[in-house]
Amino acid sequence: MSSTSLSPHSPASAAHRDPFFASIILLLWVLLALFVLYPLACLFGRAFVDGAAISLQPLLDVVNNPHHRRAFGNSLILALAVGIGGTLLGFLFAFTAVRGGLSRRVIGFIDTATLLPLISPPFTISVAILFSFGARGLITYDLLGIKGYAIYGFLSTAAAEMITYFPIAYLTLRPILASIDPNIENAAFSMGASRARVFRTMTLPLSMPGIANAFLLLFACSLADFATPLILAGNDFPVLPTEAFLQITGQFDLRGGALLSILLLVPAAIVFFLQRYWLAGRSFVTVTGKAGSRSSVEILTPPMRFALFALCGAVSIVVLYFYALLLFSSLVVAFGANHTFTFKHYQVIFTEGLPAIRDTLIIAAIGMPLGGIYGVVVGYLVARKQFWGRQSLELVSMINYALPGTIVGIAYLLAFNDKPMELTGTAAIIIACYIFRYSPTGIRATIALLHQVDKSLEEASESLGAKSSTTFRRITLPLIMPAFFTGLGVVFIRSMTAISATIFLISINWTLVTVRILENMTELSLGPAAAFSVLVVAIVYVVLFLIGRMLARFRALEGGRVESILGG
Amino acid sequence: MTVAAMQPVPITLTGIGKSFEHGVKGRIHAVRDVNLTVVPGELLTLLGPSGCGKTTTLRMIAGFEQPTVGDIHIGDKNVTSLRANERNIGFVFQNYAIFPHLSVFENVGYGLRVQQKPEEEVKRAVAEVLELVGLAGYAQQHPHQLSGGEQQRVALARAIVFRPRILLFDEPLSNLDAKLRVQMRSEIQQLQKRLGITTVYVTHDQEEAMAISDRIAVMNSGSIVQIASAEDLYDRPTNEFVARFIGRTNLFDGKLRTVSADAAVVEVLGQSIVAPSVPDGLNAGDAVRVMIRPERILLTNDEAVGMNAKVSSRTFLGEKTEYHVAVGDQVIQATLYGHGRHAAFAVGAPVRAVLPVDGIHLMRL
Repeated sequence: MSSTSLSPHSPASAAHRDPFFASIILLLWVLLALFVLYPLACLFGRAFVDGAAISLQPLLDVVNNPHHRRAFGNSLILALAVGIGGTLLGFLFAFTAVRGGLSRRVIGFIDTATLLPLISPPFTISVAILFSFGARGLITYDLLGIKGYAIYGFLSTAAAEMITYFPIAYLTLRPILASIDPNIENAAFSMGASRARVFRTMTLPLSMPGIANAFLLLFACSLADFATPLILAGNDFPVLPTEAFLQITGQFDLRGGALLSILLLVPAAIVFFLQRYWLAGRSFVTVTGKAGSRSSVEILTPPMRFALFALCGAVSIVVLYFYALLLFSSLVVAFGANHTFTFKHYQVIFTEGLPAIRDTLIIAAIGMPLGGIYGVVVGYLVARKQFWGRQSLELVSMINYALPGTIVGIAYLLAFNDKPMELTGTAAIIIACYIFRYSPTGIRATIALLHQVDKSLEEASESLGAKSSTTFRRITLPLIMPAFFTGLGVVFIRSMTAISATIFLISINWTLVTVRILENMTELSLGPAAAFSVLVVAIVYVVLFLIGRMLARFRALEGGRVESILGG
Repeated sequence: MTVAAMQPVPITLTGIGKSFEHGVKGRIHAVRDVNLTVVPGELLTLLGPSGCGKTTTLRMIAGFEQPTVGDIHIGDKNVTSLRANERNIGFVFQNYAIFPHLSVFENVGYGLRVQQKPEEEVKRAVAEVLELVGLAGYAQQHPHQLSGGEQQRVALARAIVFRPRILLFDEPLSNLDAKLRVQMRSEIQQLQKRLGITTVYVTHDQEEAMAISDRIAVMNSGSIVQIASAEDLYDRPTNEFVARFIGRTNLFDGKLRTVSADAAVVEVLGQSIVAPSVPDGLNAGDAVRVMIRPERILLTNDEAVGMNAKVSSRTFLGEKTEYHVAVGDQVIQATLYGHGRHAAFAVGAPVRAVLPVDGIHLMRL
């Protein structure tokens, strides 16, 4: 025996002598400081620093301006309405899908109807609503013969946002409802409770955390939505994101825009912290790994099932009708005036519009792998490694995701307009914006997946002599591939469809399809706008399909089930 | 892999302790002052109730956890500061930890490929070891196609294929059904003897430990309380915890009357009984614990032997019958084997209970 000294050992000594690991953490902090913290600091600096003094006066001026106060109130009312309405719709769909006893084909139909709004560029529903209910709308003018109907305002904006965002509530609530054992409802039922009582005392409380989460998600989406109000809200219903945008693009008042976006930050931050610290750990759902028993479900009578199915079917048909309208309008000369079939609009977007398509695809193609890798690396470090500042790293990595796009866009505009970090006008700034704004989905997916992958797999590899880099490459990485693809998919979808942040970052050199859609809309060339939208939906659908195939292959290898990359 | 035994090495733990800060409970000592030498080629089991520190001790030998204090040697080498991948160990996990994305062949060959062995050798070694564990023909299967027992064999094959210096098992059979458990434990034992690799095995199942081990280290509250063969643990436990943890037992308070070199007289249950040996350092007049296993007690109608007792319960279990008999205010458990070869005693009937000399074991309080 060479040594028998009873030396004390630091418990972390074996895990903490990896220069590679340390340099990755350092690099991440540098990136987060540069692309998350620095722009935010610039935003606050521009808003509150006057010369050398810090002053709250500009913010007070904004708050005291009745027009801005009204925009703030309108934003909250709209977000509340969309949160409640969208969650109700989402719950209806989720409950019907889980408890309605529908065939796979019917559920597939519902899934398609709910997938479309998720992968569409902004304005899509708004345009379709204009086509249907506008002054020359298919329903208001052609069908009902109303002349000069003014669709603009709270109702149409709220309706458009509900239809756009309710699929998020559906995807949030469906797994939660599915994980409630039907036997819990059956047990309550067998004790003599009425159906309504079972629903009120079992189903509803058990899904409450999910309902709260769905509401907060939709609230945040609506609060941040800038595209829908721009088209539909009209002059009498100003909301904050559009006001901030108009302040900057219309009046070239960067500071005013910054201040308005900071007003928006208050409710956004409240929602973020509610979700993170109040909702976290409140779920009653436990994953047992056992497939839900297929016992007969008593909570719905056949007429109730039919009623639920009819409601969902009606909403789905409305959604599909909107998209059919969009497709139709992209294929006729002028919707509402001349319904002659033509490919003219597609010719326009593939000639004049080609640079935007090319730029968007280049940016998406670069951002996608970078965002995917960034998400997996951050997720892995947060879930598996112990290091100083781990929780702060995770929190900071979520900031741009939680903030409304308008704030992020204005902050980037302020931060990267001048030296030392002059990036305005480059593709890099748009790509950076997408990566740090949309990779957090990949981060969360990686963390969630790693919580399911037992640590003993990595220990087994280590015990077989593998270095930690080998273990990561050969064991951990293949197992978190599904999360990587989820991250890829989300970054790609958002790169194709986002506008609220990047509208501030485009330039003559680099523009985006979504921005071209907006320009077309303001020029009232709705045909090309519809054609662009159809193109985006088609591209995203194809890419999602391919990623889904890859996911399925990985899952099949492990004998697991295939999940939608949009789930959860 | 050649099945020929390589030179086995000892494992030595010297003053091993593991403690950590707990937010509420303060400093927790998961393992304290464990000293243990596993002799070359033996299979030593760490046995104890959950939370006794057996798995933590095993994981420290593996290198998955670092001891707060103390040294670990494998062979002559101090491995305390080495990581698991530098210790050359084979580890079989409770949940098998089969890599779900790799085939059986890739799972088993993983360690060899990590060592960058030529592919020819990997193929041959994997084929040999799969044959050895009875999985010939399974190489191209994927883990989710395997039963629990087959996954267990893959885990075993993966741990031994690269000829580790030591083998470590963390409750490897706890996820199998009872029948398979018995079969696998004898296979593991045979394989270990054939390979001659020094092995540490963790379980909470005393029957499994007795069936498989050369020696057993019984652990309680982070410490080793006794290391001995299964027979010694059963017949001569050094304290009450071991006596109660291994098998069923009767424990009575007694008092030493006389102590001599080869026997002692102890007063127990109001009788003076001869005991074959006395714990060191005890003298006449000292209080002791008297242990006697239920199957050592004889029940008879012969008035000439034993003491007066009364049957208070009787449970017929086929191969054996379990009795509770009352002697004064004490209750004695007695188990009679060989149904039909002795009289049956009805509940409430008087009976004579005989405590044979060689069945009496004395312990310190």
